[in-house]
Amino acid sequence: MAGTIVEADNADGIIMRIETKSQKIESLLKQYKHVEALKTALEGSPPKTRDERCKSANWIVVHRAIMAIKDIDGMLIALDVEYYDILMKYLYRGLSTGDRPTCDQCLKIHEKLTERAGLGCILRCLTDTVNTV
Amino acid sequence: MAVVDVHRFAESITCHAWSPDHSMVALCPNNNEVHIYKSSQDQWERLHVLQKHDQIVSGIDWSSKSNKLVTVSHDRNSYVWSFEGGEWVPTLVILRLNRAALCVQWSPKENKFAVGSGAKTVCICYYEQENNWWVSKLIRKRHESSVTNVAWHPNNILLATTSTDGKCRVFSTFIKGVDTKDPKAGSPAESKFGEPILQLDLSYSWAFGVKWSPSGNTLAYVGHSSMIYFVDDVGPSPLAQSVAFRDLPLRDVLFISEKMVIGVGYDSNPMVFAADDTGIWSFIRYIGEKKAVSSGSSYSSQFSEAFGKFYGQSKSATTNDASESSKSRGGVHDNCINSIVSLSKSGSPKVMRFSTSGLDGKIAIWDLENMEEELGHQF
Repeated sequence: MAGTIVEADNADGIIMRIETKSQKIESLLKQYKHVEALKTALEGSPPKTRDERCKSANWIVVHRAIMAIKDIDGMLIALDVEYYDILMKYLYRGLSTGDRPTCDQCLKIHEKLTERAGLGCILRCLTDTVNTV
Repeated sequence: MAVVDVHRFAESITCHAWSPDHSMVALCPNNNEVHIYKSSQDQWERLHVLQKHDQIVSGIDWSSKSNKLVTVSHDRNSYVWSFEGGEWVPTLVILRLNRAALCVQWSPKENKFAVGSGAKTVCICYYEQENNWWVSKLIRKRHESSVTNVAWHPNNILLATTSTDGKCRVFSTFIKGVDTKDPKAGSPAESKFGEPILQLDLSYSWAFGVKWSPSGNTLAYVGHSSMIYFVDDVGPSPLAQSVAFRDLPLRDVLFISEKMVIGVGYDSNPMVFAADDTGIWSFIRYIGEKKAVSSGSSYSSQFSEAFGKFYGQSKSATTNDASESSKSRGGVHDNCINSIVSLSKSGSPKVMRFSTSGLDGKIAIWDLENMEEELGHQF
């Protein structure tokens, strides 16, 4: 039981951080720094928690950044490879929403990302049942 | 070209093993039989069919000194076969399992063999002279899921296992009366039977093949998440590295030297991994391709702080220009490769020849003799 209480405290902390992150992303997007915004959104993901609220909150932020991307190739070139695996996870989360515009955008990025990062990237996303986003 | 010989023996091969002189191969054609073939004048001639198991044979190993075969099967039994008067004579080994046996390996001294099983246990079997009987001793602790592979340390005591719970573990298999105490005091080999020496939590998904380097200093294993893991200084403070690569996951690994590893798996083309001078492992190239892939096509995460916190720490991050999948290159195998076996004398520091078998029913023999230049100085 002690574990769950700590988890709850932890969760509030994470939500706070995500809110700060959200403001930072908005300002980055205003400056047309889309890649920076996406990096910021992906930073610290997946939240080391099972708390669904945290995951949803972070997804909203990442979603905002993903939808703002216009130049996908440019974005992937600018994005460091260490972000590829986590980005792939969020793409699958996006696809699971079933929302038309979101799916359109996620599929487009998915195609380009798979070209660059290979099937291994998809495998790492599908097999990781611990660090889910 | 690195491939010396390719032969299709069956629809599919689950596992294979070579006779001590490498002239004969024992394989399971995806059923309850073990076939033994001999190579003569570019032909493979079937000499024996061993029929004793009731279900698929999942593991075969052929001891190089005593010329004994050990087979394990999904029927939960194991047989030790000795060649007497032109026939292979089986001895049943009761493993005391309630699930399928999945893999088997003779220990370096060939006085024991280890069986991994779906019953979350590892059986260590040894011969009891008085009773003329193979005894199975179980390591029941620790494994939370099926044991997919086992590998013996050259010291004949330590055993590494991989499991579908994602973990790689190292156990002591010291058996009184079979093993003699290591004169070096304080070595982990001194621990009693079944003692866990190390547990590695690097992978979040199924772990498959595991091997020790020839000296036993390094351990490599693979995960179903397109990652390969290297562990140095196995003991209380291990140094671990995770290397992610861009293609399909691996099923088995083989050290060809202290600094080079071949991985085989779903990509049907063996991959070469090597450690540089600073000990950092990375993907080098596919073995069945002429042109070397730019080193940036894989990205590895390096850390030295022990296990458990590898995720997303990559430093050597260089952007990769996509190269085509190995499928289009027309490799030697057409399907998943599920095992890789050394064709060198046991205990030799370098493996120059090895064989691979897979779901396409082929066994391919590879020779690295002329590849030293291509593979670089690490070899």
